[in-house]
Formats: sequence, C-alpha cells, structure tokens
Amino acid sequence: MRLTSAPRTLAALTAMTLVGSLTACGGDDSASDASKPLEFWSRSGPEGATTYKAILAAFTAKTGIKVDYQGVLEFDTQLQTKASSKKLPDLWINDASLLGTYQGQGYTTPVEASQIEGGDSIDAATWAQNKGLDGKTYAVPFSRQAFGTLVRVDWRKKLGLPQPKTWDDLTALATAFATKDPDGNGKNDTYGMVVPGSSKNGYIGWWGVSYIWQAGGDIIAPAGEGKYRSVVNTPQTKTALEFIRKQFCTPGNVVPGSLNLTTSEAPFFQEGKAGIYLTGPYAMGGYDKQLGKDKYEVVPMPKGPVGTTTLGDGENIYFGAGSKKSDDAKKLAAFLISPEGQEIGMKAAESKYPVVRLPVNKTVDVHTVLNDPRWDAIQKQYQNDSKTFVWSIKYQPIRQATGEAINAMMSSCTSDLDAGLKKLDTALNDELKAQDVLG
Amino acid sequence: MTTIPVLRRRARPVVAARRGLLGGPVWLPWALLLPALLFALTFKFIPMVEGLRMSLFKVQPFLGDEWVGLENYRTVLTDSRFRGALGHTLVLGIGQTVGALFLGFLLALLLEGSSRTLWVLRTAIFLPVVTAVAVIGEVWRILYFPSGTGFINEIAGWFGLGPFGFLSDPDQALVSVMIVGIWTAAPYNMVIILAGLTGIDRTLYEAAAVDGVSRWQRIQYIVVPGLRPAISVLLTLAAIRSLRIFTEVFVLTGGGPAGSTEVWMTRVFSLGFQRNDLGVASAASTLLLLVTVLLTLGMRLATRRTR
Amino acid sequence: MSMSSQFDTALGWSPRLSVSKVLRIALCVVVVSIFAAPFLTIVSGAFNETTDSTQLSLYPNHPTLLPMKIAGEKGVWHYLANSLVIVGGGLLLQLAISILAAYALSRRKFKGATVVMLLFLLTMMLPEEVIAVPLSQVIASLPLLGVSLKGSVFGVILPVALWGFTILIMTEFMKEIPAEIEEAARLDGVGELRMLWVIVLPLSKPVLGVATIFGFMMIWDQYLLPLIAADNPTDYTLTVALSVLRADGQVGPGVLLAGALVALVPSLIVYLLMQRSLIRGITSGATKG
Repeated sequence: MRLTSAPRTLAALTAMTLVGSLTACGGDDSASDASKPLEFWSRSGPEGATTYKAILAAFTAKTGIKVDYQGVLEFDTQLQTKASSKKLPDLWINDASLLGTYQGQGYTTPVEASQIEGGDSIDAATWAQNKGLDGKTYAVPFSRQAFGTLVRVDWRKKLGLPQPKTWDDLTALATAFATKDPDGNGKNDTYGMVVPGSSKNGYIGWWGVSYIWQAGGDIIAPAGEGKYRSVVNTPQTKTALEFIRKQFCTPGNVVPGSLNLTTSEAPFFQEGKAGIYLTGPYAMGGYDKQLGKDKYEVVPMPKGPVGTTTLGDGENIYFGAGSKKSDDAKKLAAFLISPEGQEIGMKAAESKYPVVRLPVNKTVDVHTVLNDPRWDAIQKQYQNDSKTFVWSIKYQPIRQATGEAINAMMSSCTSDLDAGLKKLDTALNDELKAQDVLG
Repeated sequence: MTTIPVLRRRARPVVAARRGLLGGPVWLPWALLLPALLFALTFKFIPMVEGLRMSLFKVQPFLGDEWVGLENYRTVLTDSRFRGALGHTLVLGIGQTVGALFLGFLLALLLEGSSRTLWVLRTAIFLPVVTAVAVIGEVWRILYFPSGTGFINEIAGWFGLGPFGFLSDPDQALVSVMIVGIWTAAPYNMVIILAGLTGIDRTLYEAAAVDGVSRWQRIQYIVVPGLRPAISVLLTLAAIRSLRIFTEVFVLTGGGPAGSTEVWMTRVFSLGFQRNDLGVASAASTLLLLVTVLLTLGMRLATRRTR
Repeated sequence: MSMSSQFDTALGWSPRLSVSKVLRIALCVVVVSIFAAPFLTIVSGAFNETTDSTQLSLYPNHPTLLPMKIAGEKGVWHYLANSLVIVGGGLLLQLAISILAAYALSRRKFKGATVVMLLFLLTMMLPEEVIAVPLSQVIASLPLLGVSLKGSVFGVILPVALWGFTILIMTEFMKEIPAEIEEAARLDGVGELRMLWVIVLPLSKPVLGVATIFGFMMIWDQYLLPLIAADNPTDYTLTVALSVLRADGQVGPGVLLAGALVALVPSLIVYLLMQRSLIRGITSGATKG
C-alpha cells in the first residue's frame, strides 16, 4: 500500500488544485472596489500620457476625486485581459471607430448627453456620431480631427514649386522631392511621401481611404435600416488605387519599404528624409521640435478627380461595463469635455503632444486657444470636407480586410486591380454578414 | 495488491542499484517533482484548459460566452489566409531550423578551441542571441533598407547586384525573414554543439589519426555521431519554436507585404487581439499545439529509434 | 593533451602558420563581421548626435552622450532595476525547481517518469501569445489562494519559474553522469538529498551554465508577460520599455538604440561569466567515466 499511496496523494492534490482554481475563477472580490480611485485608461505612449496627467491633476484639484490613470500600449490586448476577468477600467479613451466593437462585446454602457454636465456644449451632430446600431449613444465625444497633407515648405520653395492643388501636382512634387536633392546634401537620399503602408491593424487603409473618397469611391455604404453593403468594387475606387500605385511604382515617390511600416516605424518625415505626409495632426508638436515650425506647412487638400474629402476621425470616452463608480466616471467625463479640460489637452504645455486635437466643446475655439494657422486649416478641413468610417459596426475587421487587400495590390506594379477589388468586395460582404449587418 | 510491492521492493535494488538509479523511498521523486508540477499546473495547464474552453465558445465576457461547438475550428480550417500562413510557417520553420543547425555546426567547427582569441570571437558572435528581438528587428530593417543606399544593398552593389527589395518585395520577404532567423539562432546552436564537441573523447581522434582517417571522415564517423544527443535536443526545440514563430515576423514585416510572410501565429494574433475574436484565436492555437505535440513526439520517437 | 593539439578540435586546427590557418583567420573575419558588425551600429547609434533611420554608420559621426541622457530621463535605469530584480528572482527559482525535477527524472526510475517529462515538454509548446488572456486571470487571482500578483514582481517571477527547456537539458545531462559515482557515494553513506548537493550538482556545472544563460535570456526577453502582469507603466521591464521608447515619436532612433545597449549589457555580462563556467565545467573531465 505504501508504495501506491504517494502518486494517489499527488493525484488528489492535483484534482483539488484544479477544482479550487475553477471555483476561484467564478468568484469575484469586489469588496475593495469602493475605496479604490477611479480607474481611467487611454491608448497613449509616454507623450500622450503626460498630457492626460496634466488634465487629471486639474480635475483632482478641482473635485478631490482621485484617479488611477494609465497610458496603455497594446491597448486591445490589455483591455481584453481586463475584460476576461470582468474588471474593466471605469472609463477609457480610445479611437471613435471602436465604438461598434465595444458595444457589440458589451464592454461599454450607454450614456445620454443630459447625464453629463456640460453635455449640451457638444453639438448634437457630434453626439449623433456616437450612436450604436440600436440607436442608443455609447460614448462621450472627446476629440475630433481630420487628416492633413503636410509638406516640407523649405524643400518646395528651394525647388521653386507651388503648393500642390491637384493629385497630379502632388505626384510631381513627390517625384521632385525624390529626384532633385531638395536637402542639398548632394546625395540621392530623399523621398516623396511617407506612407504607413503595413497591413498590420489595417494601417494602409487608414492612410489611403482619403484618396478613395477623393476619387468618388468608397468602402462600405449604408443600405438602409442600419445595414451596410460593400461598395468598394467601382471604377472610382480603382482610379484611387491606380493613383496610389503610381506613387508606389515610381521610384522614390514613396519611401522604399513602406509596405511594412506602421506609423511608429515611419519616422522619415521628422528625420528629413521625405517631404509629404498625409496624417493626423497629433504629431505636429514633435515635428516642430525635431524639424522646426517654419520647415513644413499644412497645405489645402490637393483635389482628386471628384473632391477633397479627407478622413475625419476622433477619440471617445467609453464607460466600462460593470463599473461601480459611474457617478465619478461621469464627473471625470464632464471635466474632460469642459473648456478647461479640452484646453489643457489641446495645448499640451509640457509634452507638446495634444490629446485633444479639435475640441468637441463648441465654446472652445481652436484659433483662440492655439493661434496656429495649421490647426485652423485642419479645423476647416474637418468641418467642411471630411468623412468618417462607420463607427457603429465592428469596423476593425473591415479596416483590417481593406488594409490587407490594398497592401497586397500595392505590392505588385502589374497585378490586376479589378480582381483585387472583387476579392475585397466579397471579403467585406462576408464580414458584414458575419456581423449580421449586411443589407 | 500487498504482495507485489514487497516483491518489487526486494527485486529492484538488485537490478537498479547496479545502474545507480534507486535509492531512498519511492515517494522521493514525486516530492522532488512537486514544485515543478505545481508551477506547471498553475501557470501553464490551467491557462491551457481555459484556452481549450474558449476555443469552443464565442467569447464575450460581458454578454455571456456563447457555445458554438467546433464552429471556431471550422472557421480556421476553411480560412484561406490560415492555409497560406501554414505554408509560410512550414517553409520558414524548416528553412530556419536546417539553416541554423548547419550554420551553427560550421561556426562550432570554425571556432572550437581554447585560445583567448577564439573565446573573444565566440563571444562576439553570440551577440545576436542576447539581443532583444525588437532591437534585432529594428537593426535588420535598417540593414535591409530597400534602396541603393541601404546597407546590404550598397554591399551588393559592389558586386554589381541589386538593389534588392528584401522585406518589401513579396517574393523576397520570406527568405529575408528566414535569414534573420538563421542569423539569430545559429550562434545559439553553436554553443550547444560546442558543448557537445567538448564531450567527445579526444583519444578517438588520435586513434582515428593513427588509422589514417581523413578530416572529413573524422567529422562523419566520430563528430556527427558524438553530437547526436545535442542535435536531437536542438531539433526538438527548433521544431517547437519554429511553428510558434511570431515576434521576428511581427517586428520585421507584420506579416506583409501582401501577406507573403504571414505565419500561423501572426494570423492568430491579428484575429485574437486586433479583431477581438478570442474564440477563433484559441481554436487556431489549439490546433497549433496539437500539431506541435504530434511532431515533437514523432521526432523524439525517431531519434530514440536511431539511437 | 599538450603533445598533439591537432586533436583538440574536431577539424584538427593547427596553431602553426599554414594555409589552413590563414583560411581560418579569413573565415573568422567574415563571420565576425556578419554576426557582430550590426552591434557596432547599435553602439554608434547610441552615442551619435543625429541618427538616421535609413542608414547605419559603424562609428558615431558626432559623438555625444545625449541619447543616453534622454534614455535615462525616460526611466531606462528604473526599468533596468525592474528587469534585474525579475530576472534574478525568476532565474533562481527556475534553477531550483528544475534541478529538483531533473534529479528525479534522470537519477531515479519510477512509474510515470515518461509522462511527467512529456507534460514538461508540453508546457514548452504552448504559444504564450494566446494563453496570455487566461494567464492574466491566473495572475490576477491565484488558484486556491486567490492572491493577486498583478503589479508585483512575482507576477512575472512565478510564471517564468517553470520552463520545460531547463528541465529537459538538465535531465539529458544528468542522465550522462555515470551511475558508479553515485553508487560509490551511497556506499560511503551519503544521504539521498545530500547526494544531489555534493555529487550530482558539482558534476552538473556545465549544464547549470547553459541553463543559466538560456534561462536568463528567456526571462530577460519576456514581453507579453511583464505587460499583462504590470499594474502601471512603472512596473514595466526594460524590454517592454524599449517598445515604449519605440512608440515615442519625440525621441529619435538614437535613444532607442541607447536603451537597447543598456538592455544588451547585462545579457552580455552573464554570457561572459557563464561561458567560463561552462567551459571549466566541461573540461574538468569529471563527466568522463
């Protein structure tokens, strides 16, 4: 008997541990929740976090509510680990286009403008952007922005070229930057455009969608009753892709190797290697530091075959499901959208990295706060001629599929764009169908 | 039940003591294994079982997980990108394993010896192994810069070659990733093989020399067989690692361009974390685990048989 | 041994000047420049005023300590301290656990040994990226105990303590120790656990060296685990911090390379120290029966 008992004991122990662990997973230990500070996350690197901390310091000074803040990298991974143990942050700020994803997973709770103090200082139209598929509002708007075309003005002037007015001008400018040694170092080491062209997270779709819209094309469109359909397979979209491919296939127009780059891996604009960058305005503070304010300009969007529509985007405040502090969370949201909170976020006194790009609060004026013609230009673009992705559905998979398809089509200068678009069209409709929103 | 242990207790010392494999009470090995087993259970097997569970559900913690049976597995097996990823994973895995083993062997032969200079050289060569993968990715992306001014392209230019697209050319990207993998793993293999070489009895070389055996034959008949234990460990490890290859690819190309370097785990990652589909991601990783287990078992059986 | 160094190496390299020696030197130069030259660029980048993401230089054009200084301001030293604590604790625990397990698996015959070995092998096959989510639940609330390891160094130290690789190589190595040595000790009245301490461990020095190096690197390179175990960014390890630096648009590649250099130095030191013990252990001759 003695000999066999040891393994048995071990087996029993093992079984106990297993059972114990399973029951431990089910239990929840919420006793300490009430005494903890409000938990607030944002998807930010160190620069953005510095700006958020400044806003939060002002909030705590004013209300006495303590906030446990984290600027989180790998936000989706981190949020998922929190969600799996049902302990989401009380509130967080992330891309507006994630609204449908969060709502669809039950991560967020609905909110109404009237529940947030100062909620009426945000436009009804801006609130309406945050409606989920069921018609309820699922997030508080925090910041909005439009993409702008940044151009190295010193290079442009040195080569005696005008501001680009059309796509053709833009192509010619890119070629000139690549071939005419605009930095005058005697070496052939400058390029036209910076393109975060990776399919990772659908980056290239983010960058390229403005050109698709400018050609009159689109990716998905409403089909009534909250349903959507792919509209990607059109001659207009093809025109846009041909334009993009012309850049990729003219040596130097795009920084070589761009098809593998995400935004954080493409520092070529601030390093003075490339002279054109279609991007959000958030990094301009950094460019001012590294390049100099006088070295680049935000040009009015060069006109495509149809128009100058540009990607509009933004960040929202999401309230975590299961939060036991929703009153405090709403107070923080109220402060984040108040003139004071928005202004600290725009000025970003310390890090120069604004977390509020264009204010959502209509009493805050970009020109008065920043007095910067470049920001005025971004605001004009956002208000007059911008378009957003569809935020109410789970847009990530759509962006991912679009990014993967465009990345593939750009990797060859001779591939059949029609076939590529047809494939993407099917993929998009399949995805919409899987989400049960195909119309 | 009671007689057998008594018999065994008597019988075993006679057989086993000769082999030095018995001593102390029978529970001793289990007591020694207990910490390791507890840690394995807590930090590996419990998460693994949870992963298995997730693979059968549509995972949505706040709405309640939804049982979908084998649907997630079906999604993976019918997804054309997963099939592409499988091909790339195999090509990369086999290429890297074989390449790194061969190069590691050559390095070990080249740098074997006890002189101070050789020690310095071995240390220098070991640098890729001790560097964070993220940094390796960063350095190689710059080395591979696909214009004429790029580091490697400039060297290729001296020989009238290139410029190559490397990571940005769908036809070259996979090979370029493979080269980085071999570059990182070969010095690692070198160290293990060197340790194996040191274990080979020197008198065998002398005896062989007396018999007039050439260097090549010496490698073939003494060195390679002597290295078999080291190599079998290396191969097992490499097989396990290569199927899971992730970080190198993620840092270098993110799976692009045009999906030409997409491997199983990058696909899992983009499904699980970028598309928030933990169920499908878990199903895909369960499949990967299964294949790895089968492969490893097969490999161990094969090496045992040849031994 | 000394009379014919020709038999010291598998290829029979000769110390005298000859064609083969010249060839060996040439090959060494090529090999070293392939494997080590990229690191010169890390060093030069870390001490260069302007660093370019499209080109590399082998020496700094404008030497400066600025990138190092900025990296310091970004908290690199603090992250280094975190990493050192974690790698120290994790490695000690890993070695202790693995030595016990390997001793049992290699020097004892018992029913179930093969199954246990397979279980340990299985742990190596789990893709970490995907057990990340369930693992984070375990870290947030330990089974049975309900203790949360989140935000503490133990959140990383405990999960890395078990590594199938270490157990595997130690077991394989200890199997090669001749039974007679142990048997002789047993006749001298050495107890079972003391046997591990006075006989098996000293003989296992080479494999301990190998296990230390690889264990160190495995823990040092952990990325996802410190990220999910961290409660806030001050808990990050140096490896995680490197990706923070990489995402920081306002620091150039020079600062990233400076951080990379800081991360490289401890691994290099460990390798240098352990390589010596590895060679000393192997050449001591104790393993040859």
